Amino acid sequence: MVDEAHNSTAQTAISTAKATPAISARHVNFAFGEGDLQKQILFDINLEVATGEIVLLTGPSGSGKTTLLTLIGALRKVRDGELDVLGHHLHDASLEELVEVRREIGFIFQQHNLLPFLTARQNVQLMFHLHPEVSPDDASRLTAELLTSVGLGHRLDYYPARLSGGQKQRVAIARALAANPKLILADEPTAALDSQSGRDVVNLLQELARGRGCPILMVTHDPRILDVADRIINMEDGRVHPGEK
Amino acid sequence: MYSAFFVAWCQLTYNKVKLAVAAAGVVVAVMLMLVQLGIRRGAMDNSVAVARRVTADLVIVSPRTKTIFASAQFPRRLLYRVGSDPNVLAISEMYMGQGRLRNPWNKLEFPVSLYGVDPSAGMMELPGIERFTEELNDLDRLLYDGMSRTNYGPIKQYLAENGSLDVEVNLRKVRLINSIDVGISINTDGNLFTSPVNFLRLFPDRKPGSVDMGLIRLRPGADTQAVQDSLRQYVGTEAKILTREELVAAEIVFIRENAPIDFIFGMGAAVGFFIGFVVVYQILYTEVTNHLPQYATMKAMGFSDRYLLQVVLSQSVILAFLGYLPGFVLALGLYRVATKAIQMQFSMTVERALFVFALTIVMCGLSAMIAIRKVRTADPADVF
Repeated sequence: MVDEAHNSTAQTAISTAKATPAISARHVNFAFGEGDLQKQILFDINLEVATGEIVLLTGPSGSGKTTLLTLIGALRKVRDGELDVLGHHLHDASLEELVEVRREIGFIFQQHNLLPFLTARQNVQLMFHLHPEVSPDDASRLTAELLTSVGLGHRLDYYPARLSGGQKQRVAIARALAANPKLILADEPTAALDSQSGRDVVNLLQELARGRGCPILMVTHDPRILDVADRIINMEDGRVHPGEK
Repeated sequence: MYSAFFVAWCQLTYNKVKLAVAAAGVVVAVMLMLVQLGIRRGAMDNSVAVARRVTADLVIVSPRTKTIFASAQFPRRLLYRVGSDPNVLAISEMYMGQGRLRNPWNKLEFPVSLYGVDPSAGMMELPGIERFTEELNDLDRLLYDGMSRTNYGPIKQYLAENGSLDVEVNLRKVRLINSIDVGISINTDGNLFTSPVNFLRLFPDRKPGSVDMGLIRLRPGADTQAVQDSLRQYVGTEAKILTREELVAAEIVFIRENAPIDFIFGMGAAVGFFIGFVVVYQILYTEVTNHLPQYATMKAMGFSDRYLLQVVLSQSVILAFLGYLPGFVLALGLYRVATKAIQMQFSMTVERALFVFALTIVMCGLSAMIAIRKVRTADPADVF
């Protein structure tokens, strides 16, 4: 069910890692609250995302998309079911291990959440602080390259306050890609952008992800960007309905 | 660690106005602590200055004497008895009293401390008094403390220009023949020095046989401790024999117990600490609260709680440094102003500078510790 959807570039990039999917969820249930107040959000989620795949997660609000994304992103603890992400068993990981897993994931949020007191360059470079194995020289070179590749080569030393919404989101993308993530999780990255910037951001993501063979799981409501997906997963009432592309 | 420090630095310096306000809070705190502790120390030092000026090896005081500013007398014969000990090289008596000096310009009387000491005995460090040994033994000749308050009029300048000045002390006409710089304290506004004979003339109801303090010089090489013990047999319970150090210590204890110096100035320093603590806490707390989504994002990206705690702690340390340096300089300025205004010596000591620096770090650190609790509430799952 997974393999048909790859396009050719991704295929080559992932040929070695094909065997283990980037994300594999089996019978994941999730509920907020305790006892009588318990409200179950996710019911028996089964899902796989292969390396190099771009998967869109759609569905009405309240269907549990974002909760699922936070579980996959190691931001919440899985309590029921099994969830493997990038080869880590999140269902029995400690908080420290979860933090480790987060470092392998590039997050893109609805809000860019850039640190306002750091320039575009510093915001991106901050990611390399989590990866001391990258030398400072390489880090600043990679930072400049990344920002140039998202079209902000001329805005390196601008503070976020002086960038437009689309530019900020592009900095956020550069930041998410900086530490060479093995998986990108995006939550409505186009929601706060006008249609043109939204389209640009998505194209950019697609291009960069394809080039690196990095899988993307993106929550979106935006019908204009459905075409980038290899596969669309529809969620409703906490359950997954596998969709067709 | 460097990374957290860098982020902290950028966060603090991004908004210069906010940084200035935060640093100003620390500056005020540092300045208050330094000044209050400085004045406390200065008041204490000045109060025991007379005791510190004693250079005799041992002193005899009445067992009823609590402070040399309000001393009880003891019989002079005890001093002579002690003088017979082979280990004692010389003895000298000292009279002290509170008199009234009339300002010759505005004719107002002000309290003044009077000391009757043998100028040639060399048992009190009164700079330059030996030069006036003979003159001070002449009838009604006194030396003026050049560091006395200005209550008494511009006596020092007058003496420097005209050589001598006739004034009224305890309703008696006396002549000030010169001034020497000794220093005043919270107990006294001015000092006059003279020989025992002239002292007794100014206090007609005092008898020469009862002295305020006996000063003892021991033979070179004598064991002060041992001699002190052996001399006790001469005086019995009628007088106490103290070493120089014990005299100073007793003065300090008296001031601690009787003047609220420690309390008042300690309280002032504590208020400074509290102000700094509250300001730094407020700044750090609002910084954390305003950036909670960003902090949560950083957590989502894989930065640990520890890293963010380091960021907040670094900010507090930066604020401590930024506040301490100007605060220190301002305090030095205030010491000079206070020295002029109160006419007592206030000076910075290395210990105090370090102590207040440590307090500043603790102050900022504590604020950070409390503000940090907010960082933990940044939930990375909330940013989606």
